[in-house]
Amino acid sequence: MEPFQVASFMTAGVLIVTGLWALLMMDNILKKIIGANLIGDGANLVLISIGYRPGGFIPEVMHHFHATATPSNYSHLLQFEEFASNASYSLPFALVLTNIVIGASTLSVMLALAVVLYKKYHTLSVQKMFEGDE
Amino acid sequence: MMFDYILLFAVALSALMAIIQENLYKSIIILTFESFSLAAIFHFLLATDVAAVQAILGAALLPGLFIVALYKTTKGRDE
Repeated sequence: MEPFQVASFMTAGVLIVTGLWALLMMDNILKKIIGANLIGDGANLVLISIGYRPGGFIPEVMHHFHATATPSNYSHLLQFEEFASNASYSLPFALVLTNIVIGASTLSVMLALAVVLYKKYHTLSVQKMFEGDE
Repeated sequence: MMFDYILLFAVALSALMAIIQENLYKSIIILTFESFSLAAIFHFLLATDVAAVQAILGAALLPGLFIVALYKTTKGRDE
């Protein structure tokens, strides 16, 4: 495993632990939402660093490829085996691309619920919301 | 190639600072910095499409949503 991959895993661990601490210990509800966002970022970073291959290609960009290539100059294109053994693993990238967009929409729903809670209880503190219920 | 390690450290440090920070507007700005640095790390990890989406959503949509929500929840209060 590469040193940069290990460092990425450690950073993702710091992100997830920080987000969990904010979700459990913080009183402000917006800080809890920030913590949930940080947990999502940490999970994305774990998935991306799994697919990393040091010195590899970006799988969306074939090197030496031109849109105007004709069959007479196909010979300088990379062979498929060479491309497949050097490109980074692209399945987690598709998963993370979906997860980022879903994370943004769940974030907007959480913020809308926080605004609704503020309009009902006139506070952002979770402690005071629970005191009002009892 | 020390720049990517510095970016990883910046992401971890700004995540901690965004949680510790008392002022929520400053916390949102630090969270935006964390998200954009994460996009740069995705670029170094050879995932450029994910980096583009993360840069757009993390640097434009996320602070916009947070600032609208924060404005709506601190409007009646005088600080």
